[in-house]
Amino acid sequence: MSMLLDVRHLSKSYRKSAGWFRYRHVHALDNISFSLQQGKTLAIVGETGSGKSTLAKLLVGIEKPDHGHILLDGTEVQLRHYRQYNHMVRFIFQDASKSLNPQQKIGQMLDDVLRFNTRMDSQQRMHKIHQTLKQLGLLNEHSDYYPHMFSGGQLQRVALARALILDPKLLILDEALTALDPSLRAQIVNLLLELQQKTGLAYLLITNHLRLVKHIADDLLVLHQGKALDYGNTAHVFKHAEHDYSRKLINSAIA
Amino acid sequence: MLLLDIKNLTIELNTPDGLIRAVDRVNLSLREGETRGLVGESGSGKSLVAKAIVGVLNKRWQISADRFNWRGQDILTLPYEQQRRVIGRDIAMIYQEPSRSLDPTAAILEQLEEAIPDHLLEGPWWKRSYLRRRKAIGLLHKVGIRDHQSVLQSYPYQLSEGVCQKIMIAMAIAKNPKLLIADEPTTALESTTQAQLFRLLASFNQLKGMSVLLISHELESIARYTQSLSVLYCGQLVEAGETAAIIKQPFHPYTHALIKSVPEFQPNLQPKTPLYALPGSIPVLQHLPIGCRLGPRCPNARKECVKTPTLERLQNHFYSCHFPLTGTKES
Repeated sequence: MSMLLDVRHLSKSYRKSAGWFRYRHVHALDNISFSLQQGKTLAIVGETGSGKSTLAKLLVGIEKPDHGHILLDGTEVQLRHYRQYNHMVRFIFQDASKSLNPQQKIGQMLDDVLRFNTRMDSQQRMHKIHQTLKQLGLLNEHSDYYPHMFSGGQLQRVALARALILDPKLLILDEALTALDPSLRAQIVNLLLELQQKTGLAYLLITNHLRLVKHIADDLLVLHQGKALDYGNTAHVFKHAEHDYSRKLINSAIA
Repeated sequence: MLLLDIKNLTIELNTPDGLIRAVDRVNLSLREGETRGLVGESGSGKSLVAKAIVGVLNKRWQISADRFNWRGQDILTLPYEQQRRVIGRDIAMIYQEPSRSLDPTAAILEQLEEAIPDHLLEGPWWKRSYLRRRKAIGLLHKVGIRDHQSVLQSYPYQLSEGVCQKIMIAMAIAKNPKLLIADEPTTALESTTQAQLFRLLASFNQLKGMSVLLISHELESIARYTQSLSVLYCGQLVEAGETAAIIKQPFHPYTHALIKSVPEFQPNLQPKTPLYALPGSIPVLQHLPIGCRLGPRCPNARKECVKTPTLERLQNHFYSCHFPLTGTKES
């Protein structure tokens, strides 16, 4: 099976001023490599400042890496091909209620996504919107709703709809499940698992929630201060973590 | 003796559409030295209950209760001044986001010193400020901050969320409270710091006999650190009792669903299999169902469920359901 996402020796450092003419380099990411197959889930765990969010930014093209390559479906990603790979990688933010425009109806918002990224005519767009809403267990009427009319779990579904409407191959979830209540989280997890089985979607899960990782992730990458400590099959890492830090992290979650 | 004994606590909000009952006849009791967990989803009214105990709800909320005793004294009927004095002396509370509840314009030392009451400083008046500083440093050591010098001089934005929460705890225990209410103390923290904080709270509970009321929506972390548990759903108390007993055999369908939705409590669950989840979501306050509020989502709801169930008791285990789950029926 071919690799959907292949990241090789990725590095990123930021320049911070230290005094008038001097600069200090902060290494946010240092030589990170991993790969992700179609239909699999990779979880990235680590504390704040470990470079998780930087990694996400690099993957969606908000920032440019200093060194290293990101290969998507075998071809190297370049920032100017943004529009192309925008279809393949989609991003979901932590707080669904804050990442949606409160003045825009859901249908309008989904329509914008299609209008800017595809060449569909209005008929096709309408059809696609209805199809996506149905796929996520929402109703057609919901396209006339404003974000504040939804409950927390439904908003997360709307955020998912916005991501999935372009039929991506990879979905990056940045702490998207952390803030949800347990029963809602179970619902969303079920939805994600179902989508993965049906459409072969791959997930990149950036999270702190190790118990959930154990359940839904195939592979696990532990980041600490920009370095990759442990990388491998989730069950394997949970049992035989090599580094002290990852062992501590895992023990704190499942002890 | 019961430290806190609340019976039929009702909290209502006066709106143009009429009175909305956000918390509906909740019972809560705490023994001295007990740790109790209060679990519920967001919107279930758990923070309201906590705020009602500390008496910081604003005037729009109407609080009534059959009994609201703090060490045998009904604090709802006390005059305001006296009520503040009792609560201020005995109850402390820590909040959800520590970096937001600390004063951003003052250094930590200043804020911490302010929290130390005068009567705990033993010494002549000219030594007061020295003693106060010693006490502040001692408090930081107690919550596990060794590097007191730099922390005391810092402002909240310079410190990590975990350190801020430790400082909040230090401020809370400065007056040696009888009861510490922790309202979602770990939501903003990382998993390693979370475990540290829970251990810290547990150690204060054991060493000083301080009661702790731990409020959270994460059942799994609460179950590990508490002796007894109350489960709220949408303002109604659905189940209360010993933590271990509830986890082992829940009687209420909601508690059952809550336990089953956590992968940790299901050791036989294969990875990547669907989790158990109730359909739908928690109703909004404007459209509450009548009777048992779980009704529309409950897998075994029947006709009788339109009447609010009374709180039944089986030994030390309370539940309010017309059709409780029993061991035989479940398997």
